[in-house]
Amino acid sequence: MGEAKKIKFRIQRYNPENGVAPYMDEFVIPVTRGMTVLDGLFYIKENLDNSLAFRSSCRMAICGSCAVVINSFPHLACHTQIAELRVSTLELKPVPNYAIIKDLVVDLSPLFQKHRAIKPYLIRSEREEMDAPSAEFLQTPQELEAYLQFSYCVKCGLCLAACPTAASDRLFLGPQAIAQCYRYSSDSRDDGAEERFPAVDGDHGLWRCHLAGACSEACPKGVDPAFAIQLLKRLRVSRALGLGRGRRPTPVAPPPTAMQPKLPVPEFTVKPETALRREPEG
Amino acid sequence: MRNTYLWLLQLVTGGLILLFGGTHMVLMHLDDILGFFGIDIGEPTTWASMMDRAGRGFWLAFYIIFLALVLYHGLNGLRGIILELTPSPRMERLVTGLILALGIIAFGLGIYVPAQLFAG
Repeated sequence: MGEAKKIKFRIQRYNPENGVAPYMDEFVIPVTRGMTVLDGLFYIKENLDNSLAFRSSCRMAICGSCAVVINSFPHLACHTQIAELRVSTLELKPVPNYAIIKDLVVDLSPLFQKHRAIKPYLIRSEREEMDAPSAEFLQTPQELEAYLQFSYCVKCGLCLAACPTAASDRLFLGPQAIAQCYRYSSDSRDDGAEERFPAVDGDHGLWRCHLAGACSEACPKGVDPAFAIQLLKRLRVSRALGLGRGRRPTPVAPPPTAMQPKLPVPEFTVKPETALRREPEG
Repeated sequence: MRNTYLWLLQLVTGGLILLFGGTHMVLMHLDDILGFFGIDIGEPTTWASMMDRAGRGFWLAFYIIFLALVLYHGLNGLRGIILELTPSPRMERLVTGLILALGIIAFGLGIYVPAQLFAG
């Protein structure tokens, strides 16, 4: 068996508490088939330098914790195999547009604050049903399709890191929050678009987007926030012009006893009493 | 809602600038081609020609509307760029106020001479 292939990790190290300026640290590690960048980081932490700080959880691109910049492009470390990058050196930096806590760990608080600002939940006028639901809200597969793509967001923050507007305007709401505003506002079960619009219609909201599309390129889940922003612009303009107000939120599903079966239940052709009656023999 | 209306107006003024600006450019710079089609407007860039247009109600209104469109479109665009670099509500109000004042002054200056001429 030949010697295992090796790769060099150049990782930006920085600890704001010790006052030393950011610097690049180098580690050479063996690479195995299917190894992800996150696996490499774990190898370094377990075998070479246990002071390295990075964030991770699910290791399967569901939780969105391990967002880092790999060779100048924002990725999820668990979602990126080392072999697919076809390089001999990997340069890892924390995602931009966030404050660094330590090494590759950034403070994602602004992302969550902006996300909360757009009220990311179903809003309906019947508050009692919202507080104590009696049944699910009805929704057709077509109505689900209208927002399904945008509901795949895992809140990793890569779109905000890639956004050029967020780089120059730190108050910019960002693609994640604006896309989620569209996701909930276009949901047929929701009636709260007007309640959300003030948050996205400010001086640092929807209309500051440059349409660079970097958010959609960076998104590891294919959410396409840039498309959602354009759809939300269309929704805002149509509402401003007094169009598209006709839609009512879908109703609560009726209890099963109140539903009519689509087809009538056929009557038994053989009655139980006749089936049990036997003809006398002989 | 305010920013949606501002953006809508930006879109509308952009479209109208294409129309008004196109007419202006054709009149000012394509007079030879207009002459080829039998439309003689003389020498459009001379002082006398300008004064003549300022004295006609249609062209006076045309250029006053054109000026308003260009000022709104340009200054609202400038405001959008500057707001990206002013992360404080107080600075935002200051920027909006200054740009509004600049627009009003520029519009007043722009229409002063032709309006005086038109009034006689």
